[in-house]
Amino acid sequence: MAQDTSKEPLLYRLEDIIQKYGGRAVLGIDSLAIASKSIIGLVGHNGSGKSTLLRILAFLEAPAQGKVFFQGKACCTRQDWVRRKVTLLPQEPYLLKRSVEANVAYGLRVRGEDNRPDKAREVLDMVGLCPEDFVRRSWHELSGGEAQRVALAARLILKPQVLLLDEPTTSLDAESTRRIKEASLAARTHWDTTLVVASHDMAWLESICDKILTLEGGRLTIS
Amino acid sequence: MDYIFKGFVEAISLLSSGHAETYSAIWVTLQVSSMSIVGSLVIGTPLGFLLGHTTFPGKAPLRVVVDTLLSFPTVVIGLLVYAFLTRRGPLGEFGLLFTLPGIAAGQIILGLPIVVAMTATAVENLDMRLKSTLLSLGAVPRQVLLTTLWEARFSVMLAAMAAYGRIVSEVGISMMVGGNIKWHTRTITTAIALETGKGEFSMGIALGIVLMLIAFAVNLSMCGIRKRVG
Ligand SMILES: Nc1ncnc2c1ncn2[C@@H]1O[C@H](COP(=O)(O)OP(=O)(O)OP(=O)(O)O)[C@@H](O)[C@H]1O
Ligand SMILES: [Mg+2]
Repeated sequence: MAQDTSKEPLLYRLEDIIQKYGGRAVLGIDSLAIASKSIIGLVGHNGSGKSTLLRILAFLEAPAQGKVFFQGKACCTRQDWVRRKVTLLPQEPYLLKRSVEANVAYGLRVRGEDNRPDKAREVLDMVGLCPEDFVRRSWHELSGGEAQRVALAARLILKPQVLLLDEPTTSLDAESTRRIKEASLAARTHWDTTLVVASHDMAWLESICDKILTLEGGRLTIS
Repeated sequence: MDYIFKGFVEAISLLSSGHAETYSAIWVTLQVSSMSIVGSLVIGTPLGFLLGHTTFPGKAPLRVVVDTLLSFPTVVIGLLVYAFLTRRGPLGEFGLLFTLPGIAAGQIILGLPIVVAMTATAVENLDMRLKSTLLSLGAVPRQVLLTTLWEARFSVMLAAMAAYGRIVSEVGISMMVGGNIKWHTRTITTAIALETGKGEFSMGIALGIVLMLIAFAVNLSMCGIRKRVG
């Protein structure tokens, strides 16, 4: 699966990043580069800083120190254009109190883009949820695994340039796990999406990733 | 005890025969309470949203003030509004005393703290993940604000129901500001107070039944909405 992405231009460059919560440093990354169209795995124990790094890459939180370059430009959380290229599927996704279809189409709606119903159907199909069965359902009529897949569909519909996945398959059964894995890879195949995936599923990461980063107590260790 | 039973039977016949005076009070109540609840929501929801969404110095004391206003006695509101609307009062020139909009003004003051406090709490209790989810799906700050309000809609509805329940059942403001004028400002509650005072139980019981039905409907819809808030 791994392609040679070494010749691709840099998408992200992180310099001297430090993140602190309540005065305590939880993440310290001296330098990190992520190439376009690559698939990066992120492993580490609980509390090692995986989610924190992903939120920084998603421009959802600003590091206490350091710079994040995206396509060569130093970017910050207040820039809407960059947040519209990057999307994060959080560890515990949140669904809006709306129908499945409205949840999936939300990102297109706020962009003022055409959100024909067949677009939502297409991505629901990608994550293995039968569109006829699910589009009209309400947010509270879903199982945990179904909600997780609806949340992924809501990101896939954006055809994002970067898709950040925070432990997307934890607490899912084998079938849902397979669907999520297939759908995230399809994003890269169809739209050249760059993927950064935090997961404890080493076998999966080893089979798909161009590079696996290990975090230990907020620091990258060479692997 | 006989007169209570007789009153009950007569009450049913008043309601089923469409007794004009009884239905006038019901109609007046529905009109004035609708004005009041719309007013409370239009003013209260944005205020509650601001209070819940923003942090500023003095926010905590302000919340205490709002919570205190929740138990503002209706007769005190009635007194205040009367003092402002009476001919000699600062708003006397509008001639609102003894009118439905006059009563509504008082009832808006009654409903406002409920709407503000409950909306603020609802916004504060929204899921922490909401904002980052919206941002990550590409919403710009203005869209984040609008979607956040929409996410809180069930709690705002609950606030509306709670405020409405208090507004339809209050008697102090209607009595003092409305003046209990037959065919004009006589509401369900002021009519009950008057008729009971006269020893006329049947109309009081009839109106009481209607008021209980309204309260029941309000509570029923609150139960329905509460399931959604969860
Ligand atoms: N909002 C917060 N406030 C304070 N500390 C936090 C907060 N979020 C995370 N932390 C701390 O930051 C550190 C890194 O947390 P993070 O969620 O990034 O870890 P993680 O690698 O994603 O862990 P997990 O595998 O359990 O998801 C942890 O020590 C955690 O306690
Ligand atoms: Mg995590």
